[in-house]
Amino acid sequence: MTVSFLGPDRYRRTLTMIGAAVLVASVTLYLALPVAALFFRTTPELFISSLCDPAVTSALWLSLTTSVISLGIVILVGTPFAYVHCRNRYPGKMIVDTLIDLPLVLPPAVAGMALLVLYGRVGLVGKYLNMFGITLAFTTVAVIMAQIFVASPFYLRQAKSLFEQLDPSYEQTAQTLGASPFRVFLTITLPLTASGLVSGAVMTFGRALGEFGATIMFAGNLPGVTQTMPLAVYVGLQGNFNVGLTVSILLVIISFTIMIAVRFLASREVRHA
Amino acid sequence: MLEAALHKQLRDFSLDLNIQANPGEILVLMGENGAGKSTVLNILSGLLMPDAGSIRLNGRVLYQSAAGICVPVESRCIGYVLQNSAVFPHISVSENVAYGMKAHHMHKDQIAEQVDHLMGLVDIRNLADVKAGKLSGGQKQRVAIARALAIEPDLLMLDEPFTALDTESRQSVQEAVRTCVSNLQIPCLVVTHRVADAHEMGDRVCLLNRGVNRWEGQPSDIPSFGIKLPT
Amino acid sequence: MQKLWNDKYSIYISIACLLLFAGFVAGCTTTTSQPTTTPVATGIAVQPTSPSPSPTVVKTQVPATAAPVSPTAASVTATPAPTFTPSDKTLVVFTAASLTGVSKDLGKAFSAMYPGHTVVFNLDGTQALKTQVENGAYADVFISASNSYTNTLKGEGYFIDSTVKPLTTNYVTVILPVSNPGNIKSLADLAKPGTKIAMAAYSVPVGTASYTALGNLAKSTYSQEWNRSVFSNVVTYETSEPGVATKVSLGEVDAGLVYESTYTAAPVGTLTAITIPKTDNYLQTYTIGVMKQTKSSGVSQEFEDFMLSSIGQQTLKDYGFRPVS
Repeated sequence: MTVSFLGPDRYRRTLTMIGAAVLVASVTLYLALPVAALFFRTTPELFISSLCDPAVTSALWLSLTTSVISLGIVILVGTPFAYVHCRNRYPGKMIVDTLIDLPLVLPPAVAGMALLVLYGRVGLVGKYLNMFGITLAFTTVAVIMAQIFVASPFYLRQAKSLFEQLDPSYEQTAQTLGASPFRVFLTITLPLTASGLVSGAVMTFGRALGEFGATIMFAGNLPGVTQTMPLAVYVGLQGNFNVGLTVSILLVIISFTIMIAVRFLASREVRHA
Repeated sequence: MLEAALHKQLRDFSLDLNIQANPGEILVLMGENGAGKSTVLNILSGLLMPDAGSIRLNGRVLYQSAAGICVPVESRCIGYVLQNSAVFPHISVSENVAYGMKAHHMHKDQIAEQVDHLMGLVDIRNLADVKAGKLSGGQKQRVAIARALAIEPDLLMLDEPFTALDTESRQSVQEAVRTCVSNLQIPCLVVTHRVADAHEMGDRVCLLNRGVNRWEGQPSDIPSFGIKLPT
Repeated sequence: MQKLWNDKYSIYISIACLLLFAGFVAGCTTTTSQPTTTPVATGIAVQPTSPSPSPTVVKTQVPATAAPVSPTAASVTATPAPTFTPSDKTLVVFTAASLTGVSKDLGKAFSAMYPGHTVVFNLDGTQALKTQVENGAYADVFISASNSYTNTLKGEGYFIDSTVKPLTTNYVTVILPVSNPGNIKSLADLAKPGTKIAMAAYSVPVGTASYTALGNLAKSTYSQEWNRSVFSNVVTYETSEPGVATKVSLGEVDAGLVYESTYTAAPVGTLTAITIPKTDNYLQTYTIGVMKQTKSSGVSQEFEDFMLSSIGQQTLKDYGFRPVS
């Protein structure tokens, strides 16, 4: 320790530390306070009692079931798709690559509008479905379709990236040992990309759960059928404030759980040389 | 017996090669980096398509461009140990060695017996239940060799197999390879840039330069002029 | 080594203190604004009495491009509440969404009468506008489609009470796509099984009006049975009146309940309508009032006078609104 205890170096050091602390604190507060305010706006008794409100329970049940189904479909269809897309060169591959990202930049309301004019009763495809008595718009199926449309890029991009980055020598060696491409996918590719895929799935679930714009456009807003939690929040904030608040808090809790799950999985990811 | 005639246009030159290897014979492919040695192995295994040529192994046609025959990778029964060993990091050593046999739907007991035998051969019995991702480079190499031999291949190919090994391991692995190759009476291709390996293991040596076989002969006759060879 | 220990810990401690302090401040200042009345289980709930410090500006969806960020909480999308700053030249008028069609002409006429002044209309469901105002949004004038919302805002002290006046009225009507896919010939047909009906949510003024009108019809002409069937045919409760009209004009539903004015002002050949008899109908009264917070009280009053004048009233009439009786 030098004698310049009170020198300019010390001041600068302290100022920098204070500056850094203020920076970190203000960013943290900006993100945390609005969420905290939700909790402060109600009392625990009010919150617990409104959990019994049918508006809350039906929205919760609907949101969870549709999001789980949407996620299931995205994983079951998306994983093999991403694999085939990565491992092969085919005409139009670049266009497909871009299309996968499209729902990310498309405003959800536009997505909903697009789904409506395609699958609606008088839509391009919808009018033929209607002839067979199949309706899509304003049904729970529409909720799932909207969720899949907006949330699938989260999983597909992750899966694509994982499959592309996987060292090809593992799959190649497995093939030389006599494993069919299908067996290679199941025993080598999937286990080695599993934790990354799971975190992609978790993000997809979160996005599907929070979907609003496309849902209200394509599926409408009917309690118990298409009124998911985000819709219930929006309607609630303007009508039944307590319902809106309760559902908001539930969404925050679920979101936090999702975030923690993703962090946990990311830290557990095995690095393969 | 391996008989192959390969032709492939690469970026800087054209690979144009005839290869023959007899059962029980170890053929060493040598050459500078980029001479096309690994490419040859990739083509033989089926991971890479040549432009033209033919590959015959024990009389069986694996590839024949004229007739449009191309046997898929998983059906060629060629043991291929890559340069980076590529052991499957998420499963144990014994599961690694057993992988090929499981893919061929062999019986559980047969697999266990064979796995044990091979692990003993390359001296990794003590690592049987260790997750393969945790092994050292040398240990991985040995696992890879045992794994490749497990499927009782008609041809064994090793790409720079001794780089990660210390002298003692190298000798024991070379011993194991020699034993297996002569027991199974299969041809063996070893790609290396070390002349010492050629002397220690090879029955014959091919020198590759820019995709063409410049010289072929006994290890003891390796010419020390014309082509630069690192020791 | 000693010095390093001091620095690291001092940073942690200062951040922790800041967070704790902020947490206490937040907790203490917001506990006063707990909702004091238990809300009604169905229908419109009583709003919390005092406004919270942060406005309910609902952010639009921002796509997350990478990183494990849960997109859930951020993606409740709505039309972003426009932020208006007070200005002498521009008047901010919060207007019930059913005036969307007529607002352009009203704005033009006002600017023609008072050169240099423009009107910016914030069009949304009255219930949404009320929430915005209660959470701090700036408005000069407020045009409400519902007396009860007006009264609530009056009670909360947002209006200059003397300026609150009835502006215009509107009846509810049933509109159908011109192709009439549901083959609806009369109000009775609304109860036909398989019919798809769009309505506004109860908290939207036209939603309450529709609900009441249907109830009246059930009592007077059709039955409770009919009423129940009609409601079971509703496939969506929209959050604003134009939302209902859109679904009908797209042909995605067989019928919708909107204001008369929407039908009158619609382009010829897009919609047909079935009238609800006046005796059963609900006459919605729109009110207009100047906000206490206005920074241009003079211009605001001029706008209100303009709306109540013969020009304003005629323009409204041209778009299908009825005069105040």
